[in-house]
Amino acid sequence: MTARSERTRHAVAAVAVALASCAARDEPAAAPDTLPATIVFRHFPVFGGPEPLSRLLDEFRRENPGLIVEDRLLPASSDQQHQFYATQLEARSSDFDVFALDVVWVPEFARAGWLRDASDLVSEDDRRDFFDGPLLATTLGGKAYAVPWFMDGGLLYYRADLLEKHGLAVPDTLDDLARATRTVIEGERDPSLLGFLFQGRQYEGLVCSALEIVHSVPGGAFVADGRSAMTRPETIEGLCLLRRLVAEGTSPALVSSLDEEGSRLLFGSGRAVFLRNWPYAWSLFEADGSSVKGKVGIAPVPRAAGGRHVATLGGFALGVNRHSRNPEAAEKLVRFLASKESQKSLALAAGYEPTRRSLYDDPDLAEKQPFVARLKTILERAEPRPVTPYYPMIAQALQAELSAVVTGLRSPEVAARRAASQIDHVLSLEEP
Amino acid sequence: MSRARFLESERRVGFLCLAPALLAVAAFSLAPLAIVLWLSLRRHMPVFGISRFVGLDNYAYLVSDPRFLSSLGNTAYVVLASVALELVLGLLVALLLDRSFSGRRIARAAVLVPWAFPTVVAASAWGFLLSPGFGVVNRVLGIDANWLGDPWLAIHAVILADVWKSTPLAALLLLAGLQVIPRDLGRAALVDGAGAAARFFRVTLPLLRPTILVVVLFRSLDAFRIFDVVYVLTGGGPANTTESVSLYAYRLYFQTLQFGTGSAVSIASCLVMAAWSAVMVGLLSTSRRGA
Repeated sequence: MTARSERTRHAVAAVAVALASCAARDEPAAAPDTLPATIVFRHFPVFGGPEPLSRLLDEFRRENPGLIVEDRLLPASSDQQHQFYATQLEARSSDFDVFALDVVWVPEFARAGWLRDASDLVSEDDRRDFFDGPLLATTLGGKAYAVPWFMDGGLLYYRADLLEKHGLAVPDTLDDLARATRTVIEGERDPSLLGFLFQGRQYEGLVCSALEIVHSVPGGAFVADGRSAMTRPETIEGLCLLRRLVAEGTSPALVSSLDEEGSRLLFGSGRAVFLRNWPYAWSLFEADGSSVKGKVGIAPVPRAAGGRHVATLGGFALGVNRHSRNPEAAEKLVRFLASKESQKSLALAAGYEPTRRSLYDDPDLAEKQPFVARLKTILERAEPRPVTPYYPMIAQALQAELSAVVTGLRSPEVAARRAASQIDHVLSLEEP
Repeated sequence: MSRARFLESERRVGFLCLAPALLAVAAFSLAPLAIVLWLSLRRHMPVFGISRFVGLDNYAYLVSDPRFLSSLGNTAYVVLASVALELVLGLLVALLLDRSFSGRRIARAAVLVPWAFPTVVAASAWGFLLSPGFGVVNRVLGIDANWLGDPWLAIHAVILADVWKSTPLAALLLLAGLQVIPRDLGRAALVDGAGAAARFFRVTLPLLRPTILVVVLFRSLDAFRIFDVVYVLTGGGPANTTESVSLYAYRLYFQTLQFGTGSAVSIASCLVMAAWSAVMVGLLSTSRRGA
């Protein structure tokens, strides 16, 4: 609001004033030397209300009185955010300067030339402080194109009360998971109790759930060295493990229609023993009135026998629009928002997982957000989905073929072959 | 001579009067169509700075693209099943509403309610009703069906949502058709000793034929574009078994920014619809001549 009135004061004609107030978004920027620089920050709605971020931005405004910072919301849907950025940036829009991007978009946007090189924004100290996953995901060809802001990693939620009642340890491997599920369900004699829930609907969540299983097999990967790795025996073994979850009843068939919220609600109502989900679910399970309050534990997602624990990396990074009219001011805002202090205040206020390791040992965080502090080892193992500009196209093939595996529509071998041919087609598009 | 000049100036005035409308049509429908057609002949992927003329390559790719063919098959199945169901159900509703009974006005208005819902809202509601864990449908039926995740059930869930939404439109159009049929014909048939079934099949149905064709044309063109129901309800899953042509085009355009291939899908579906309309319009005109 202040930005708008500031601008209108400088407008000359009364008509222009009227127009500007109706369509402030589209007006051409006035000469920069007559106006304080304006930077626009585009982002998705912050979970748990806008206050924590607004407070941070106010602080930035106080520190930089010469800058006008506008913050503008995008729809909550990730697809719609991607669509918004892609159409705006393709049209070389400079309507926004700083924006929050899902980590999987960074290589694509970097390759398209939409992002300003952010190498200067990530110092050597930052490199040591940031977790490996988000650093990998925001780097393309040795250059950083965005600064990790906060992150996510998949984890296993389990019903601690049920495991204890049946004398079971927290499952470490997928075999343990299958055994524990069988024991609890047989012991409870409750036909409506479900085993291990994950995101099995055909959408990005399925790729995230599957990656944790496939990558846990040593050598298992979707893409490696710029080519499809789907038909590697290790990857196919991972896909077989995924299929076996459903085929052997560890996971109910209905996982094929579950997304994050669908699975979270089922587990949260006490209908399932295990759940793979993101950290956001914790505070909902522990909220007053939740039927599983105080009964839930967390652990790394179970691994293949002989493999390692993996968490799929999620989260957001901050990028600067290549067409920004005020790149220096924009970079200043990115530095501020990704700083240790800002990440800490967002973590304390909204429970966001910082991308900086050092914050997890911060006493304030341990006291006010003990759950976040416990995630350090899980986030340390966070691995990004294939880091390539072609990821959105690859994801289309992965989502469909993984869905075919989960529902048993195609055998893991056939699905892997189909995905491989699509992925290799996509990766060869740029070859002459 | 002066008469010809008069006609000439008449014509000019006519063109001038039409110009705004023609401009609007050109700007909002012909120009975009031309652009899409042009794009469909190119490999245009702005992200990667690729934009070159490839002739009919995109179309050649689609002909052997299993995903395009399956989306075409899914769409055709949904169109056939939905339109057939909507026609039968719509006809039943229309026949009911055509009778005189107290509260008929209210009933006619009430029937339209599903149609008045925005599709996305209706689809979200169906998503809740059919959800596996808490869905009312499963609870009422006392079953444990995986409506949105089972490859066989999911496409039928889509059809169910579409039929629920669009039957009112079919019913309304058919009701209008019923109302123009002169009542005397039915009465005359009654005098001739025709039973209810004979009157329906020998009198009402033949006279309703043009309306039925209009309903089929309207609804099939509409159903061919099916997008929101699928997008919200299943996202095209499981394993693309519910992906429609429009959803595929959307994903090519906006999720993977392959404007060339996306345009080719749009043009191809446009051609399919044009061919289908031509067939229907042909049938419609013969039925007019017959009637």
